Amino acid sequence: MNSAAEARFRVQAPNSKPRAITVVALDADGERVVRDISSGGWQNARFFTSLSPDGTLIGIAGTNITLTDEVEASDLVVLVAGPGGRADLAPRIGEACSAKRVMTTGFVVGAAGVSDTELSKTLAQLRPWSLMVVIANNDEYIADMMAALRA
Amino acid sequence: MLRKEQNDLLTQTGPGTPMGRMFRSYWIPALLAEELPENDCPPVRVKLLSERLIAFRDTQGRYGLVDEFCAHRGVSLWFARNEDCGLRCSYHGWKYDVTGQCVEVPSEPEASGFANKIKLRSYPLVERGGVLWTYMGPPETQPPLPEWEFITVPPKQTFSSKRLQESNWLQAMEGGIDSSHVSFLHRGDLNSDPLFKGAKGNQYNLSDARPVFEVVESPGGLYIGARRNAENGQYYWRITQWVIPSFTMIAPRGNHSVHGHFWIPIDDENCWTWSFDYHPTRELTPTEVGAMRDGKGIHVRYVPGTFRPLANKDNDYMIDRAAQKAGRTFSGVEGIAMQDASLQESMGPIVDRMKENLVSTDNGIIMARHRLLRAVKAFIDKGTMPPGIDVAHQKVRSAAIVLPPDVPFTEGARDALLARPAVAPASV
Repeated sequence: MNSAAEARFRVQAPNSKPRAITVVALDADGERVVRDISSGGWQNARFFTSLSPDGTLIGIAGTNITLTDEVEASDLVVLVAGPGGRADLAPRIGEACSAKRVMTTGFVVGAAGVSDTELSKTLAQLRPWSLMVVIANNDEYIADMMAALRA
Repeated sequence: MLRKEQNDLLTQTGPGTPMGRMFRSYWIPALLAEELPENDCPPVRVKLLSERLIAFRDTQGRYGLVDEFCAHRGVSLWFARNEDCGLRCSYHGWKYDVTGQCVEVPSEPEASGFANKIKLRSYPLVERGGVLWTYMGPPETQPPLPEWEFITVPPKQTFSSKRLQESNWLQAMEGGIDSSHVSFLHRGDLNSDPLFKGAKGNQYNLSDARPVFEVVESPGGLYIGARRNAENGQYYWRITQWVIPSFTMIAPRGNHSVHGHFWIPIDDENCWTWSFDYHPTRELTPTEVGAMRDGKGIHVRYVPGTFRPLANKDNDYMIDRAAQKAGRTFSGVEGIAMQDASLQESMGPIVDRMKENLVSTDNGIIMARHRLLRAVKAFIDKGTMPPGIDVAHQKVRSAAIVLPPDVPFTEGARDALLARPAVAPASV
């Protein structure tokens, strides 16, 4: 039943509904990358550059929303930070995701050539709140990942 | 999800295709050395990267890998006589040496020099570590011979096998780096398979079915780390190596041998799954080798006289629903190798990746595709040598290790991730 001929008879109906992906920059390195990828014409992704002390996510398109409401509507929250341990927002966002059982992915960008100490500081902040961690040498990877996840 | 053109780019490896050209820039495993056990033994059919070839070992022990078909009337040289330093076609007696050069055309006057004008395409075939390796690319860009650790240790420390897999190479390879399936599909085997059981690391695995994954680019490909909680707030890491295009090495368990795979395209709908087990510092025991030959661990039992697994799609992989129901196996298929192969083959010869719904824990697969697409583009557009050709990318190991919670595993396991002669693997 798994011949090339039989493969033609797979049901062609859609097998999924769009997922909502939230991308949040946790520091300046993250913001640079998030701004770059936000212009990619995504159908199912929203991009934020920071989180204010009152719990408002600051949207790139000027659309702010409370962290709680955004997480409530999201299927995946992607946290983006550079090395050096400036991802101080990670616990607040991570706790909100944990409370709502929303999947999280932590991205360390700009990691090529940095010291292990600098990388370690950011990992210490991201790991407790990320169910998946990615350390990519080039920033284009986040866009590829989002395309693969149908964002 | 991959767009159709991306899927076609990565899955098509015939002559002239971008991925086919990239595969042809590597030394790839072609046969087990035991398939050509002595001088002048029978030739063996070999199909690689959608080319039909014939392998033989001549009177002087030289290996040849040449076009399967005689240049005269197109007869398969599998029927040829292997004699006096060449393959003689059984039809009209044309004879070829290991370079594919025709050295005799009995019907033509020897003085005419006609034989000199006939030459079959041939590729180098070299024995390393019990495996015959070939390079199918342009001679002027032939890289140094492979230096994977499993082929450089003494012969009694290593064991390799191969099996036919009836699917495209990419979905087989992706299965090998899909670390999140282990806790489900193979959960029954950690405590029963003789090549796995008894390791302390197994308890970490079995007590935490939901590891956290960390994917990091390596010089040759990727490190895929699976993290579980260990004692005193530390993490137990299992770090898999993937080297472009299709080498993986799975994290070891206890003092068991270390194992891994190559997936080599036969054509676009079939591939060879190569499986190796070795130990860097000790000989494999007769019991271990016996278990490997008996299809334990990542190896399989065969249909006699072939490299087709005994459990295959024509017998529904001998699925045992009672064992599945009782929890002895998760899928009902016995053995780690065929548990993987049965599911990968069930996807169809070339899976339609437009229909898949990947999730965040599939980042290892997503990044492998990302790196392959980048590598093939750079190779085709700029002639950039792809990762994995440099022998430094081949001198790697997987590792199982316990580390403090904030340490990058690339730092904590830096030495453990390199092949070091006579140094034991990092294993738990």
